[in-house]
Amino acid sequence: MKTVFPSKGEITRSWFILDASTAPLGRLASEAARILMGKNKPIFTPFLDTGDHVIIINAEKAVLTGRKEDQKVYRHHSGYPGGLREDKVAKVRQVRPVRMVEEAIQGMLPKTKLGKQMYRKLKVYAGDKHPHDAQQPTTLVAQAAR
Amino acid sequence: MPRVRRSTNRRDSRKKTLQLASGYFLTKSKLYRSAQEAVEKALRYGYVGRKRKKRDFRRLFIVRINAGCRLNATTYSRFIGGLKKAGIELNRKILADLAANEPAAFTSLVEKAKAATAAA
Repeated sequence: MKTVFPSKGEITRSWFILDASTAPLGRLASEAARILMGKNKPIFTPFLDTGDHVIIINAEKAVLTGRKEDQKVYRHHSGYPGGLREDKVAKVRQVRPVRMVEEAIQGMLPKTKLGKQMYRKLKVYAGDKHPHDAQQPTTLVAQAAR
Repeated sequence: MPRVRRSTNRRDSRKKTLQLASGYFLTKSKLYRSAQEAVEKALRYGYVGRKRKKRDFRRLFIVRINAGCRLNATTYSRFIGGLKKAGIELNRKILADLAANEPAAFTSLVEKAKAATAAA
């Protein structure tokens, strides 16, 4: 018996919705990353993108535990000398709330071309509305594994 | 010591090496010296790869079994523990195949594992 690998055309993708306001950011992100990578399917194949699409709503209400609301810093570098930018959570949440969720999930995906492809299946929205009704997404409840 | 002439032996052995290197990139398939180095390396990688293959596949089986388990509201760890208690000795290759191609059979195995865990 040979272990079967699905060919690209055989992969069917469904859509899932996760609500960022219902679980701490990291737990939400790991659930989303698992689905994007396809590890929720028994046909998971390491060299193909077998994952499903994920829609995250309510990104502006992302939950942080402990004192991260005051302490967590989002850093990026402009590339120029002295160009390190640091933003507090309060500012990121106000200016671009989807960034918090996107960054958390992308950090959990593979840092490869395939990882980038998986990341493109993620759609994050600040509010509770999304334009993907046509894809008939299933609403999932984020939970700790088990 | 008498002088040794390599006669056809040298040509034969070089031919063999170049044969093994056919299809390699640029000089690696054309020039004997580069080909020799490439072939030595390739054989060594091949040896390692044959061992790795077994580990890599086992890892893949485990990921797939875990996905199947979570569809049946359990985890890989609990499932394997339950199978052991139930005395079912299917290997991970078969379990992974069942999870992907025979979901019903896999579900009944999960039920057996759960029952065995509850009984123990």
